[in-house]
Amino acid sequence: MNSAAPRATVTGIGLVTPLGTDVPDFFAALCEPRSGLVSPPPDHVAAGLVDAAGIAPDLDPAAHVPRHDRSVVDRFSLMAVAAADAALADAGLTVGQDVDPYRVAVIASTGAGGMITFERQARLSGERGAPGVSSYLYSAFLPNMATARIALKHGIRGFSSTVTTACAASAHAIAEAFRLITAGDADVVVCGGTEATLGGLTGIAGFRNARALATGWADDPTAASRPFDSRRNGFVLGEGGGMLVVERADLADARGAAGYADLTGWGSTTDAFHLIMPNPDGSGVAACMRGAIEKAGLGLADVGYVNAHGTGTKIGDMAEAAAIQQVFGPDQPAVSSTKGVTGHLLGGAGAVEAAATVLAVADGVLPPTRNLDDPDPKCDLDHVRGGGRPARLTAALSTSSAFGGHNVSLVFQPPSTRRTRNSGAVHAR
Amino acid sequence: MTEGFDVFETVRDAVKTALLEMDYDISELADDMVLGPAGLDLESLAVAELAVHIEDDFGVKFADEELPGMADLTLDEFSALVVERMGATSAAGLAD
Repeated sequence: MNSAAPRATVTGIGLVTPLGTDVPDFFAALCEPRSGLVSPPPDHVAAGLVDAAGIAPDLDPAAHVPRHDRSVVDRFSLMAVAAADAALADAGLTVGQDVDPYRVAVIASTGAGGMITFERQARLSGERGAPGVSSYLYSAFLPNMATARIALKHGIRGFSSTVTTACAASAHAIAEAFRLITAGDADVVVCGGTEATLGGLTGIAGFRNARALATGWADDPTAASRPFDSRRNGFVLGEGGGMLVVERADLADARGAAGYADLTGWGSTTDAFHLIMPNPDGSGVAACMRGAIEKAGLGLADVGYVNAHGTGTKIGDMAEAAAIQQVFGPDQPAVSSTKGVTGHLLGGAGAVEAAATVLAVADGVLPPTRNLDDPDPKCDLDHVRGGGRPARLTAALSTSSAFGGHNVSLVFQPPSTRRTRNSGAVHAR
Repeated sequence: MTEGFDVFETVRDAVKTALLEMDYDISELADDMVLGPAGLDLESLAVAELAVHIEDDFGVKFADEELPGMADLTLDEFSALVVERMGATSAAGLAD
């Protein structure tokens, strides 16, 4: 990396996850670890379709979007606006006051966007024909509308975009933030993503019928998501996501802001193997992690922790374990997948796991993989199991893989800002 | 056994119905045609979906490990496997 390039620091975190919206409690729950998964209640659309689900809290539209938008906004957008509001508040940053609006970028990503809206409108068009369809269809369901709502609300006038690379979408958004900041194209980037995975029958049924979801766990939904465990048999849908405020470190210093961690590198590759199955040899993920470490100007030994994609599918976990083994050789970093607690938030997963990785760096505690009772011998890694593991990190990696064969790895390191901060979580010891 | 034959026919019809619902052209589908690439050309995801349809229809279960092998079965062989899995050749094993 060019040493003259600005550094990118994470100064704000906003989350909406199955664990709620409180950031310190989110990280405390990951480290306990306390499950965010439940059996869907009988009146929930997912009842009977899934054994376990990570249901995010209901959000009050009145608290986040204008009056005229309350009945229109899709859940994925509402969660993104709520997370962006929280992240900007956490960073103590007001656009237009602390920073020129044209120097602020926003990238709120998602896999599918407003599927709940589209499903409802498709039903109405079937029942009532063309007159049944709302004129607000596009402002609700388009995947870029979360980005647009955040920009509109906070007066963000610089670069804006939405990346729709399924389960890597919000990790790609954060990688873009690194590029924008280090290239000098933005001073602040509000980045991340969300997915409203549990709002509509169609989306849930698509995963169920592809046999992608964990089954046989109705008696204990908290045990259903078990990355790298021998009894894993699929992933658990969780809803929500997160937004980070990534900021030029020198400007954060100038306004007296504190950094959680620096974003120092990213890698991205494509499997080009199958539309939805990962390459079992892990080569795409391995090249992705190597690229990220190289971009950050680090050596392999600098990486002390990998927050794995680890969804709990048989092939996916095996491919990722193979990749980590290949990249790091005999000196393996600690590895965990926080999806054991949260389930899989699809387009929101990358941002939530980036937040977990940032907080691991900031707090010096590695969250464990929940339900990893009997590690699969085919996933032989230095697993963090049981409770949180104290560790002073030089660098940590958050890695995501997606339907489509997209891989993204992000590198986080202790912050270069003068003032630093941690999660504020109280960690059990 | 006439009754057993009926169950088999019912299952085979249900498999065909599932394939139709999955938008496969079954006009050329013969009973001895394999389901996978060598015949009807079901890809791995389609085999998984067919398995879910049949699980829903007949209350049987298939393990993930079984799915790759299913692509090598003919329509008749797959239907026979379902009947066997139902644990009975009697119509009592049928869910409605």
